[in-house]
Amino acid sequence: MAKRIIYPLYQLGNPQIRVFRTNYFLTLVRPGVPQMEDTVQFRIPMEMTRLELKDYLENIYNVPVATIRTRIQYGSNRQRDHKNRRIKKPDYKVAYVQLGAGQTFQFPDLYPERPETIEPGSLEDIQKKFMEDEMQRQKDDPKRSGVPSWFGL
Amino acid sequence: MLRDQSRYSALPETSFFLPVGNMAAHRIRRLLCNCRQLHSEALAPATTTTTAPPSLYPPVVFSITAKSQAAQRRRRERLYQEVHDAPSLEEKLRIFGRNQRLKYVVYPQTWALNADRWYQDFTKTVFVPGLPAQEETGGEASRVDLSELRSVVCDVLLQELFYQRKRTPYLFRAIDQGPAPFLTHLVPALTAYLASHNPVLVSSSIDFKPDVNFYWLRGETVVPRGHRKGRIDPLRFQIDDKPHCQLRIPKQLSEFVPLDYVAPEEIPVFKVLPDKLPLFKRQYDNKIFIGSKVADPCLYGHTQFHLLPSRLKRERLIRLGLTDQTEVVYRANGIASLFAWTGAQAMYQGFWSEADVTRPFVSQAVITDGRYFAFFCYQLNTLALTVDADKNNPRKNICWGTESKPLYQAIEDNDVKGFDDEVLLQLVNFFLHRPK
Repeated sequence: MAKRIIYPLYQLGNPQIRVFRTNYFLTLVRPGVPQMEDTVQFRIPMEMTRLELKDYLENIYNVPVATIRTRIQYGSNRQRDHKNRRIKKPDYKVAYVQLGAGQTFQFPDLYPERPETIEPGSLEDIQKKFMEDEMQRQKDDPKRSGVPSWFGL
Repeated sequence: MLRDQSRYSALPETSFFLPVGNMAAHRIRRLLCNCRQLHSEALAPATTTTTAPPSLYPPVVFSITAKSQAAQRRRRERLYQEVHDAPSLEEKLRIFGRNQRLKYVVYPQTWALNADRWYQDFTKTVFVPGLPAQEETGGEASRVDLSELRSVVCDVLLQELFYQRKRTPYLFRAIDQGPAPFLTHLVPALTAYLASHNPVLVSSSIDFKPDVNFYWLRGETVVPRGHRKGRIDPLRFQIDDKPHCQLRIPKQLSEFVPLDYVAPEEIPVFKVLPDKLPLFKRQYDNKIFIGSKVADPCLYGHTQFHLLPSRLKRERLIRLGLTDQTEVVYRANGIASLFAWTGAQAMYQGFWSEADVTRPFVSQAVITDGRYFAFFCYQLNTLALTVDADKNNPRKNICWGTESKPLYQAIEDNDVKGFDDEVLLQLVNFFLHRPK
């Protein structure tokens, strides 16, 4: 159970007990230090244990889990505010899940580098050329070697 | 003298009275302008004079104390020389392990996934399935009365698992009652029985729960934090093993393959640090120990017997869904334990990473959880595992090993069901292995 929620005791004649889905939320993160190919890194709620995480992944997502290791990352409290009081960043729990059955996982490259392609004759192309001309025009005369324009005859 | 003259020559009128030629005065005046120039010119005649008798001065070498790579190299070479020149073996081992740093502690019996492949990388060992071909023991083994031996083993087995009334074991302590005493009594019984067939067993020494330690360096990395941050440092490893019992003999076992045989199998390479196995770092005494001190006459290994803890039992791993890890546990234990023991034996003979072995060292191991038995043979071909020593070193250590097989199927009321003679025969073959 995710949080301490006290449900009323079931008594005969009460309406049927419902099945509740978990209210745990996991974050799949890109590993900061390189990991093995079969290792997946998550940020999980503080209350969640590794057994619960194993149940969660196996029963909801059908992911074969071999082992799970967890640790709690200390959030820094080094930063100070304008009254010199410490500012604490919240702690969080990190889980390293090793997949079973020879599965591997690579964190996807969400923002791949896209090469800039501008079609010749399009509005962007004209705009870019105009800006280049303007920049060229506003540049100082190289023959004056940095002497300001108000100086001289 | 030269300095005095030049001080005078700073005044133009005094230089006129100096008892030196015009050219010399000119030179001295020029020297005065630059102190460094003065120094170099003053040294110049000295060097020309020293070239004639070269043995007068010690050779020009890099500084030891400077903050440079050459100085670092010289410090390292000085340490190597110190180990080479050590008067005794204890002293050599002490100097070798003197420098304490954080080191990875390798546990031979581990529940880390696929640990055997990592251990192959750490120890530069190739794993070859199956056992090496042994000569002589086949003929000797046929002369052993196997049925009598089977009754000996069954007696020991029933004694621990049937005749004695035992209480229910504590959680994860089940091996303390059945398998551990079985192995404790099996090994002396077999040794005593087979001593007539293998004379080396008579002079052997048997240790129960001995300490076996080995410390070695392999690979290198950049120190991530601390006052040594940014320096390149070798990865240090330590194994602290405690086999259930082991046999040591005074003469070395014969080699399985020649020293220069290069096994065709590949050693797995890992791009990430051993932290990800996971392996953790600690700093304590760097110990190298084979189970006895240097003065002991039995300095060579014969066979180790390992008992797997309940946590690594086959049934438990299968229950956890780790079916593919049941054999990995045996292999990892075999590779790590045998490397540690055999490497320590080689270091007891004075070999180390800068003085690589000139003859191969050989040990055997039996790994069991009480019912399943796996057999391993190890041949140590090289101790040069550090990055410097490993350049152009084609030698690899070799570990042969079998899959685990059950010795018996079940024990039902004073009767051992499904006793496997093949496993017993393999055990006998291990005992009959002898030095040439």
